[in-house]
Amino acid sequence: MRETFASQAPWFVAGPLLGLCVVAVLALVNGRLGVVGGFSDVVDRVSERSLRLGWKGTFLVGLVGGALLWALVSGGRAEDGYGWLTRTFSDPVVALALLVAGICIGLGAKTAGGCTAGNGLSGNAFGSRAALVATMTFMAVAVAATFVTKWIWGAAL
Amino acid sequence: MTRLAAALVGVVFGFTLAWSGMSDPDVIRAGLLFEDLYLFSFFFAAMATAFVGVQILRRANVRALLTRDRITPETLRPEKRHVGGSILFGLGWAISAACPGPVAAQLGQGMLWSVATIAGIVIGLKIHAARGRARETPEAGARPAPVVGIE
Repeated sequence: MRETFASQAPWFVAGPLLGLCVVAVLALVNGRLGVVGGFSDVVDRVSERSLRLGWKGTFLVGLVGGALLWALVSGGRAEDGYGWLTRTFSDPVVALALLVAGICIGLGAKTAGGCTAGNGLSGNAFGSRAALVATMTFMAVAVAATFVTKWIWGAAL
Repeated sequence: MTRLAAALVGVVFGFTLAWSGMSDPDVIRAGLLFEDLYLFSFFFAAMATAFVGVQILRRANVRALLTRDRITPETLRPEKRHVGGSILFGLGWAISAACPGPVAAQLGQGMLWSVATIAGIVIGLKIHAARGRARETPEAGARPAPVVGIE
């Protein structure tokens, strides 16, 4: 079993599994699965000095737990490095880059009403035109910006 | 009960993200550079599955199992914010080679770098909330606050 989970899941298994999560949330609580909504929920409750999370917050907690479970089942793959960033820059620069990237992600997704999950998966599955516009925008920008980083820093991967 | 159910779906979601390698920045970056088609195959397979499932639920005209309200997948018309926010989001995705789900999965797997990204996400959400408050203050009470929390 360990070997099954240690190698990358076939996309035609992992993709539908992820898609079914979107269907499950709608069927169970009439909700739209999203991850930024989960972060938002946790941040809001913690600022109110409360830990009584809504379902979006408990979804996020479950997500973190699910990844931990995978690490335990597969024997883990916790690397010290962080992809192209740590191969290209010194640690303080990487920390700053990730902090700035996080700000873009949090502010951007909240403004756009969703992230890759909320707009990209759920919103598109719901047939929301706003989600389609958001998805095409962030896909195009992410691809373009990634190529720019490749050209500037010669970071192939 | 809704909270427990959502947590269980979250476990499946997080496990799948980790198993598919989405928490590995190299996998996402290779996808965005079109060097490996896994990212897009995975994403579109997920979207297609979700789309079919949601449309079946919508046509079945049923009630949600736990909340008992009629299932209403919310659709919105595109506004400027969907483009502007997504441009910013796409930049963050490109730099970190991760989006919110994978970042949370990284944390679960014990990748400490995710703490920096999460700190950024929290700051980003705080900036969004502060901007919302600043907009409302001049006309506080003039009209009800907009309903938030749709993602």
